[in-house]
Amino acid sequence: MKRRILAVLLGLSMIVLAACGTKPTPGGQTTEAAKTTAAEKAGDKTEKETEKATEPAADGQVTIRTTFLEGELSRELLDKFEAENPGIKVVQEAVDDTKMASLLATQDAPDVMRCIGVYDIPTYVTRRIALDLDELMNNSKVIDVDDLLPICHVYRYDGTTVGKGPWYGLPKDWSNDFALFYNKTCFDNANVDLPSDTEPMTWNEVVDLAKKLVIKEGDTTVQYGLAMVENPTMPSFYYLNQYLLSAGEDLSSDDNKSMDFTKPVVGDFLTLWNDAVKSNIGPNPVNNDQTGGSNLFIGDQCAMIVTGYWYSGMIRGNEEASKKTATFGMLPTPMVEGGKRVAPTGSATGGFIYAQTKHKEEAWKFFEWYFGGEPVDDRAKSGWGLPSFRSKMELLPQADDFDKQVYRVTLDELNYGDAFIPINPYLGKAGRPMFEKWVDPFIFDRATLEETMQGMTDDANQTISEMVSVLEG
Amino acid sequence: MRQIKQTTRRSIAFYTMIAPWLIVFLSFALFPLVYGFYLSFTNYFGFNLEDLSLVGLKNYQNVFNDKDAMGALGRTFLFAAINVPLGTVIALTLALLLNHNIRGRSVFRTIFYIPSIMPAIVTTMMWKNILFTGNGGILDRIIGFFGLGPVNWLGYDYALFSLVLMSSWGAGGGILIYLAGLKGVPDELYESAAIDGASYMQRLFRITLPLLTPVIFFNVLMGIIGTLQQYLQPILLAGDQLLARPIKPIYLYVVHAFQQIFANQRFAYGMALLWVLFLITLLLTLVVFKTSRLWVFYEDGGD
Repeated sequence: MKRRILAVLLGLSMIVLAACGTKPTPGGQTTEAAKTTAAEKAGDKTEKETEKATEPAADGQVTIRTTFLEGELSRELLDKFEAENPGIKVVQEAVDDTKMASLLATQDAPDVMRCIGVYDIPTYVTRRIALDLDELMNNSKVIDVDDLLPICHVYRYDGTTVGKGPWYGLPKDWSNDFALFYNKTCFDNANVDLPSDTEPMTWNEVVDLAKKLVIKEGDTTVQYGLAMVENPTMPSFYYLNQYLLSAGEDLSSDDNKSMDFTKPVVGDFLTLWNDAVKSNIGPNPVNNDQTGGSNLFIGDQCAMIVTGYWYSGMIRGNEEASKKTATFGMLPTPMVEGGKRVAPTGSATGGFIYAQTKHKEEAWKFFEWYFGGEPVDDRAKSGWGLPSFRSKMELLPQADDFDKQVYRVTLDELNYGDAFIPINPYLGKAGRPMFEKWVDPFIFDRATLEETMQGMTDDANQTISEMVSVLEG
Repeated sequence: MRQIKQTTRRSIAFYTMIAPWLIVFLSFALFPLVYGFYLSFTNYFGFNLEDLSLVGLKNYQNVFNDKDAMGALGRTFLFAAINVPLGTVIALTLALLLNHNIRGRSVFRTIFYIPSIMPAIVTTMMWKNILFTGNGGILDRIIGFFGLGPVNWLGYDYALFSLVLMSSWGAGGGILIYLAGLKGVPDELYESAAIDGASYMQRLFRITLPLLTPVIFFNVLMGIIGTLQQYLQPILLAGDQLLARPIKPIYLYVVHAFQQIFANQRFAYGMALLWVLFLITLLLTLVVFKTSRLWVFYEDGGD
């Protein structure tokens, strides 16, 4: 009998331990993840250091924590900053979405945090996580606010509208993330002419063109027409937001306290991309091709890829692609049929200062240096993203024909880069999984278009109402 | 008096020895559990720790009104009902085979055990990108030899089957425990049976399996607990990000809790979801313990 009792106790303790034993692993969330994987890996080394140091040392030195990692902020640069600012030590800390949620929950978030400006700033401002930098920005002698490109205003928020109100941060760099890159070899393989790189196509034209670029050998697809960098070629929440901006539509009510996914524009978007899935123009869950879009594109197996300027850095840095840069080029951001031309950023990766930082002065000094000082020039010259300042644009790579073509298209895109994609601050990160919940059965023909749109509306409004009730008490 | 002192001394020694584990357990296991239980009665959304309101049983009521949660719970039970027996049969069969004194036995043991020590992220990515993929995937090629397929292994019709298949591949983890159990079966019993002319199957069903039931019982119990808590593999099959949402057939209960906490910031509701799972797991464990009287054989009668 004793043995049974002990076995019961052992079993129960196993349950308890197993329940506590699960731990998340790092992972990104947007297309920016492609750019930061290396940075995150490098940052793992420094994470342990961080745990030791947050309080002022005996010698008066203040340690601040940042989530910008080695790939985006080298230790060499940091050493220079620390030498110029002897009272400040900076440690880098690897933080993914899940860890960030935990750090914010325990009010132990780093002082200067990396964020995806487009999605995070409205969310963090609404939740009082980001520090108001308006006064500091306007009085800064390092950051010239008048020299900032219009896209940087995505870091301003007045509680309802992006681009208005106080400054809460700045992008480190940004891209016209909904533009296209082409692979000329694939166009030649399909005997299709390259489209204009001065006039944007509509999304319908893009899908139609992609269909013409598909090449099959028997039942096997040997060349696709269109891929996404990380996502499958299917309807996504990320692309819906640009579609809405081009169509001049916003699904949120004026006070952001409700959303309506049953608007016809959502139906148009879902129908278009469902057609793209069914036409097999790219890897998607229905054809179950797990090959990454970028691998297909660089390997001459896909003719176009939806991505922004940063991808030119990827092409220059990739061993295979860098040998054939003349094959590649950039096309303007597509627009909605009958809509307006827009070339917004889909992420604007940058940073903000934690509202509850204990070292506001030192955090601002670091922020000012990282977003307005020497690192700005280094980033612009690397060609991995567009600079925040108009005066730094000329630092972008312009060495060969590929660089020049991309630079020329980019300069034209800047004329349409002052619009911000509509974000509901109460929905926050819940938007994407909510969208996926309803899109998956739709593309697998398990849900009708009407059920899909109504389901999205119901789920979004439930999340929003809960968040509003918490924020408003 | 001397006896009491000795007992006290032993107690002090005992608690001193277990102190490191006890401190870690209390700090990092029990406290978070109790604190999480408290949070499940609040409106905690991840950023309002200083402004919490008690909401009574609302989060628990929401669990049972949440169609996604209930659907995921049903799917998780279905997955466990298939995965646990299948995993048990596979591991036990392999252990019985590996218990024979054959050439290269240790090599086979290693091969079968390797999948269970490989990180879930590696195995899932391997299955997803090499075996399940529709672009020249190995499984499609195999069924192609028989004139079948291709099929969408990660689509609505086959996703659950694929998850079971992938989990079964890692069933080798139980082999070591079964092998240890098999070593504990006295040789004299087999020798006596051989003298009486018992066949291999008779020896298996009359000696080996009855004496192995305590080990089977332990593995089944651990299998149920582990399967009900499964979340990483379905997520990784869906995408390479932790907030990727698996399609419905493999959208399991803990995946739903994970999504509620980290995607929707519904921390309090997520805690309620997990406490409901804890109670269900506890209940199932007690039921399995009760049934063990009917099929688990203890040499000493279980006393």
